[in-house]
Amino acid sequence: MRWLAFRAAVVVAGVYGSFLIFAQFALVELIRGSGAGLFAERAVLGSMAAAGIACGFLTAWRGLGPSAIRGALVALALTAAAAPFGRVFAVWLATGVLTGGALGIATVALAAHLRGWCGVGWVGLGTGLGYALCNLPWVFNQSPTVQAWAGAGFALMGAAAVPNRSGWQNGSPAREMSVWAAVMMFAALVWLDSAAFFVIQHVGDMKAGTWGIGMCWRNAAVHLVVAIATGGWLARGGFRMVPMLAWTLLAVAGLAANSAATLPLAGWLYPAGVSLYSTALVAWPGWSSGAADPRATAWRAAWMFAIAGWFASANGIGMAETLRHVPTGFVLGAGAVVIGCALFSDKGGWRGLAGPALVAAAVLTGNALRKEPSASAAARGKQVYLSEGCIHCHSQFIRPDSPDEALWGSAASTANARADVPVLIGNRRQGPDLTNVAARRSDAWLRLHFIQPSQLIPGTPMPSYAHLFRDGRGGDLIAYLRSLAERNPDANRSPATAWTPANVLPPSPENGGRHFARWCATCHGSAGRGDGPLAASLTKKPADLANGPFNWTAGDEQTELRIARIIKFGIPGTDMPGHEPLTDQQAADLARYVSRLRNQPP
Amino acid sequence: MPDPAPNPPTASVRLAIRHALGWLVAGNAVGLWLCALQLRPSLAVGDWTYGRWVPVHLNVQLFGWTSLPLVALLLWIYEVDLGKAARWGATAVWAWTTALAAGALCWLDGRTSGKIFLDWRDGSLWGLVGAMTVLWLVLAGAWRERAPFWKAARKWCSLGGLAVLATVPAAMVFSASPKVYPPVDPTTGGPTGASLLGSTLVVIPLMLLLPRLGSAIGKGRAGWGTWVYLAACWVVFVAAEWAGGTHWDFHQIGSMAMLLPWVILIPWDWDAFQWPAASAPWRKALFLWWALLTLTGVGMYVPGLLDRIKFTHGLVAHSHVAMAGFTTSFCCLLLALLAGRPPGGRRSLLAWHFAALAMVATLAVMGLAEGGSYDWMLANPWWRTVGLHLRACCGAVMLVASGVWYLNLRKP
Repeated sequence: MRWLAFRAAVVVAGVYGSFLIFAQFALVELIRGSGAGLFAERAVLGSMAAAGIACGFLTAWRGLGPSAIRGALVALALTAAAAPFGRVFAVWLATGVLTGGALGIATVALAAHLRGWCGVGWVGLGTGLGYALCNLPWVFNQSPTVQAWAGAGFALMGAAAVPNRSGWQNGSPAREMSVWAAVMMFAALVWLDSAAFFVIQHVGDMKAGTWGIGMCWRNAAVHLVVAIATGGWLARGGFRMVPMLAWTLLAVAGLAANSAATLPLAGWLYPAGVSLYSTALVAWPGWSSGAADPRATAWRAAWMFAIAGWFASANGIGMAETLRHVPTGFVLGAGAVVIGCALFSDKGGWRGLAGPALVAAAVLTGNALRKEPSASAAARGKQVYLSEGCIHCHSQFIRPDSPDEALWGSAASTANARADVPVLIGNRRQGPDLTNVAARRSDAWLRLHFIQPSQLIPGTPMPSYAHLFRDGRGGDLIAYLRSLAERNPDANRSPATAWTPANVLPPSPENGGRHFARWCATCHGSAGRGDGPLAASLTKKPADLANGPFNWTAGDEQTELRIARIIKFGIPGTDMPGHEPLTDQQAADLARYVSRLRNQPP
Repeated sequence: MPDPAPNPPTASVRLAIRHALGWLVAGNAVGLWLCALQLRPSLAVGDWTYGRWVPVHLNVQLFGWTSLPLVALLLWIYEVDLGKAARWGATAVWAWTTALAAGALCWLDGRTSGKIFLDWRDGSLWGLVGAMTVLWLVLAGAWRERAPFWKAARKWCSLGGLAVLATVPAAMVFSASPKVYPPVDPTTGGPTGASLLGSTLVVIPLMLLLPRLGSAIGKGRAGWGTWVYLAACWVVFVAAEWAGGTHWDFHQIGSMAMLLPWVILIPWDWDAFQWPAASAPWRKALFLWWALLTLTGVGMYVPGLLDRIKFTHGLVAHSHVAMAGFTTSFCCLLLALLAGRPPGGRRSLLAWHFAALAMVATLAVMGLAEGGSYDWMLANPWWRTVGLHLRACCGAVMLVASGVWYLNLRKP
């Protein structure tokens, strides 16, 4: 019995492997390589889908059995082996029709008879093997010709393993949900997967980040392990949870693919999501559709593979070809379909769906009726401040009679803070208070800091907000911060002129040099010549500390105090910012170091 | 009121329990993600940076994990599953979850009101009000059907409850408005002692009511003296809130101190009831966190200490005492009573509470260090990183524990 089950799993692997590596990959590349053109490519793929759907229904109608599977796989192997020799459109068209027809027969007949040969856990093994074989570097990284021959080999392997008898025992399996709910659910998943896979393979660096060198083995292993686990899960009745988890993984992978930092995560999640739903898709007709015999199972499989397989994958690829990305709205819509079908397809389930539908309508209406953004840059910037959640790390409240005043200016008026709508006092500081930030930071400095915060503040937990400057949001946010400082123009003056380093040891120019390298060199340059990496990004070149403003000053304590105050509080109206996080000792050390940078007049 | 729930919970109550724990798992996962973003800001994907995930974490814990157990309680009290309304119980639960999921998408999309704990505006506000309305209609339908079978006292009390619940959507619209803001302590920019007393006074009646709603058998010890003291607390709250002031003022400190007797009064009252045996460890945990919350809350309001920890990780520690400690214990106890069995065994219970305690301790130490100067995090990146890693480890343990609870109560 185990031998029979293993053979069934090999057939599944053969059908999946030949379909993936030949029909989805090699054939398309061969057509492109022959210079047949886009029309020919689409015509061949269209004819393949039409033949696949027609032969799928033919299989169900005629009740074709194991010998048909074997014959179809042999025909597929011959077609794949001959495909690299195609040159003219008519041959490509015939190749498409033969491939589609063979796959239509093999998939529907196999789905109809699997339950008689093995348990659902073996379906997971077969699906995982099929994906793993295609992802092996020896297959995935080969030329289209070799890939086509590999597809032919997989088909022959499957044909050789097809059992001779049906083995079906009558009795209805559980019906987890209505046939149409299942079809819609899998169609949404296939559509999403096809579009995402097209984007991964054709846009930007995504392919290198997910199917790059050394990643094929990982992808093969993920496919195999997840598919086997899915088979075990389905055997315990996970036909609702598996598609929902698959969608979650695919959606998260899609989002993670948007950023270089999280692209590796997408590389792990995508194959896992695909293996999850693919295993469930093969198993559904035999184990979860409620069909009582091979004939009924074949009909359900035919409908499932026609709509969720051929139709949805073609639409997914077409959508991705046109848009060059997968819209977030589509991902969410697919999720609504998958979750809605999985959870609410029982009798009377529409009542459960009524609540979400009502709430969704309310949300959409409320968002549609929202007020348009203000014409003022500062007002729009305030909205950016809210949207980005700046309030979760920054306050706008300088406490009276507290160290806040020395750091950020004179104390806030509670009445003013409360007059703001909404009130943005905040309750957590992971960064400085922003009430007067623009009094000690120029627009150019703020812009640089938003784009590359760690360049200016070493060790800062502030993330980069470079994306805000791809549209107008970054400028608006700076305008808002400036408007805050303009409410209290003298806020910065008193602490800056009154402050003196307190309780400090004799300043150490050696320590000052280390602080200079950490805090100052990025603008002033490592030798203080005003030629740091960010110097060119500022409005005016940073001061040359060797030959510039301090060159003609006396090297006394008063000069160092002035320098320390500039270091600590900056120079309003210029790009020189304050460095409030420095301790008094650090400021004194730095001042000593900077005062020694100057070239003495001859 | 119905007897304690020794029987398996009915369908919609079971659904609400599952959703509550599902949101707890989701909220914990987001919390862990936030910690990862603090350690490595470059992990942020596109526009979804730290600042956009914070409201998701806060509101999922507040309006998912904290609110849905109360929704389950309402569905149980009004016997939604015992009549025709049973068909609509799931509608109410799913509506609530959809509102919260839509809210999460809105916050990630940058649609926020700027009100940290009431971040509902435009579509998300409409969605939440819609969900509240659906719930009210289901409860009202159940009352209409079930009330004839109830004693007069229960009938009229539950009708009064419906009347109060009818005002909640309007109250939510009002309080979520950016134009509404509670009094501010002018020396800290934070809430006044009276405000803190007021917010806790919403919780205390809930604790007094829980066993009296039929969750336990017997009669509590709270006599007229307890109820008079509760009323006195409300009077003090109103008077001190009206007077305003700072944490240096006696009447504001005194407002906070009014909470201290409740550390004893609640356990003293509950002790006289007969509770299901399996709920004992969850009640003990609740009382420990309640004591810690009240004592640290009052202690932190002392002038000098509040000035040091304001705006620091210290306040985050206190928030976690409130949410991860006290509120979670309360909700777990409620779920244990409704489900007829506790959410988890001894191991998951201890894992959660020790991890929460370790997280609170870590955050409190970081807060005290930060209080000297806000730049502590920049000046001591190694210590900050160690602290955040510890916090992440605790968060991971709590995530696993909540996952165990979810799977456990998901079983029929």
